Amino acid sequence: MVETGSISILLAFAISTYVLFASLYGAKSQRKDFIKSAENGAIAVCALLLIATIALLNSLISLDFSLKYVALNTSTDLSKIYRFTSLWAGQAGSLLLWCLVLSIYTSVVVIQNRNRSRQLMPYVLATLTAVSIFFIFIIAFVENPFQKLPFTPQEGRGLNPILQNAYMAIHPVALYLGYVGVTVPFAFGMGALLSGKLGDEWVTYSRKWTMLTWTFLSIGLLLGARWAYLELGWGGYWAWDPVENAAFMPWLTGTAFLHSVMIQEKRGMLKKWNMSLIIITFFLSIFGTFLTRSGIVSSVHSFAQSDIGPLFLGFIAFILLFSFGMFIYRLKDIESENRFDSILSRESAFILNNLLFLGAAFAVLLGTIFPIVSEALTGNKILVGSPYFNHVNVPIGLLLILLMGVAPLISWRKASKENLFKNFLYPILMGLITVVILTAIGIREVKAILAFTLCTFVTTTVFIEFYRGVRVRSKRGENALLALVRLVSRNKRRYGGYIVHIGVVLIVIGITASSVFATERKATLGRGEALQIRDYTIKYENLKRYSTGAKDATAAELVAYKQGKEMTTLTAEKNIYKYEGNREINQETEVALLSTLTDDVYIILTNFTHDDKATFRVFINPMVSWIWAGGIVILLGAIVTIYPSSRRE
Amino acid sequence: MLKGKLKFAIAICVITLTISYLVYSGAKEAMVYYLSIEELVERVPQVHKARVRVSGVVVPDTIVEDDVGSIRFQITDSIETINVAYNGIVPDIFADEVEAVVEGIYTKEKMFEADTLLAKCPTKYEDASALYEKEDSY
Repeated sequence: MVETGSISILLAFAISTYVLFASLYGAKSQRKDFIKSAENGAIAVCALLLIATIALLNSLISLDFSLKYVALNTSTDLSKIYRFTSLWAGQAGSLLLWCLVLSIYTSVVVIQNRNRSRQLMPYVLATLTAVSIFFIFIIAFVENPFQKLPFTPQEGRGLNPILQNAYMAIHPVALYLGYVGVTVPFAFGMGALLSGKLGDEWVTYSRKWTMLTWTFLSIGLLLGARWAYLELGWGGYWAWDPVENAAFMPWLTGTAFLHSVMIQEKRGMLKKWNMSLIIITFFLSIFGTFLTRSGIVSSVHSFAQSDIGPLFLGFIAFILLFSFGMFIYRLKDIESENRFDSILSRESAFILNNLLFLGAAFAVLLGTIFPIVSEALTGNKILVGSPYFNHVNVPIGLLLILLMGVAPLISWRKASKENLFKNFLYPILMGLITVVILTAIGIREVKAILAFTLCTFVTTTVFIEFYRGVRVRSKRGENALLALVRLVSRNKRRYGGYIVHIGVVLIVIGITASSVFATERKATLGRGEALQIRDYTIKYENLKRYSTGAKDATAAELVAYKQGKEMTTLTAEKNIYKYEGNREINQETEVALLSTLTDDVYIILTNFTHDDKATFRVFINPMVSWIWAGGIVILLGAIVTIYPSSRRE
Repeated sequence: MLKGKLKFAIAICVITLTISYLVYSGAKEAMVYYLSIEELVERVPQVHKARVRVSGVVVPDTIVEDDVGSIRFQITDSIETINVAYNGIVPDIFADEVEAVVEGIYTKEKMFEADTLLAKCPTKYEDASALYEKEDSY
């Protein structure tokens, strides 16, 4: 199996190289047979990488420690499911998965577009393949997952206990699907530049890919946040760590792109802007991989400081020079069909949205590479932490929410006074009511009041949009529910988008409440003692020590009361893993978490003594569950948007 | 038409300037020097005034925990060694010989009072043998 895997990777590299040249030659000389053979080649590459992945999975599951990758990432005490997920626990395996995902995407693109846009497609395929070649080159010659050890050890290093978690098992995959997905709209953009077919074709055909990619990135970010919240035990879900920022930056510019392509489709404007935006997004996704994989900025995530850094840097330089070179070469051929008429129009709301997203991405990028920049300029390594990121991004975020409410209701081209009054009367009223209610119940934090008010404003605008659509249909005799279903299914992109907006609103509410109104207390308690935090009482009942095959666990049993009423029993654990192996971490903290619609009770057992005195850190984090609920709503909205039409487009 | 364009230019300028200002003021406020322990000790006494971040290897057998959850330990860069006091959540991977990153203020009493403690994987495992070469763990 191991040989099959290595050979498959080498073959995939050879065939990819052929696909690149065959598709370029076929496009240049109008040879359909070459294009056809390149397309078949792309599918063959996908099959080969699938074989390589299965071979590696087989070695991981059967614990073939003669492979370096298996020895480094698994051990005999690891359950089957985590042996499987260790496919993406290390560098070489992650890169193989990266190649596999890209080749699957490439094959789907090839099959989808077999009979259309014949001028554009060979160049799209060439771009996708060029990116593939870079990654396949790395796994074939630099970081080969099938590299053998000079001897076969008895035992492997194993997987860190904090990585043995369901969210950890799936969030990297979701992020990869997103990261890699950015390549598809980028390839369509490059295809347009290379072929000179600069119309809207590339935007239209890559539209769903953009949405799909964006959804995977969003879900990946949220799952990662949830993992950090449950497993890292510091009571938070986001820390502006370089690794988090690396995934957040392409998400920001990707969101901008997702919106601005709509202007190109509806009004034939922003063509140059869209082209640059997708190039920047692709650059950021590769740059993010470079940041996290090269160890150039220090992060709590301990990635390898491996030799692939310079390779990546070269690749990034090539991408930037080549794509912007092509862009400048074609610049005179990309013309807008319309001009901006008024600053009070939907177009300009979209432009503002784009500028803000781009500004946020720039600020995050600058903050992330600040140590490198400052060291180069002044010789001192200077960091900026969370205060910087919050200081910059909170105002930008609030403005973006405002636009999220304004854009769907303002007219195209030029909004009249009547239009503004008619559409925004109720949303503004609802916003004002929110301000009054929040102040009345004693909330004085300006940022929180602003955020909640804007959220009400957006929700009202979305509600009005649905209400109007349904009313028009029910006037024609449809009942309200049927009208709603038809309304959404006839305008999936529009109403799916609104559902996504509602998901974002839920997330904003959750983030605001949990960051502004969190309470924290620390106390050392004896058995039977309790601590008070806000309107909660946490009583420490018992300390249990027990051992399983894998770990020595110490579990504190607690009972949570709200306003004197018993809620539930909770267990906070501190575990020492027995297996010494060569793992970096043998300690693991399991937080006790009680999640409700209004509050999360989050308890960490930080310390305990022989006479069963235990120290706890207790957080009351309001409305964190709204963030995860928002994620589910976003996913639903995205599915509505992407869901294939029954009618031909 | 020209008037419309001008309005746009103004709007774009306002946004760009605002974001630039936010970046500038945020960076100014949140700036923290990242020093080696040697540099930290060299920069006494100016260093007492500002927040700094320092990283070093935890000296074995120096971690002392009291029963309220505060810890004290020493970190070293094999040239200089400093005492650190920290009160907060201790990461799971924090132990002897790991690389610890601390952020806080170095006081005149030669105690680094940290409010942030991060820990990185110990390097001894990574270059112990051919098997445990530099490798990552996501």
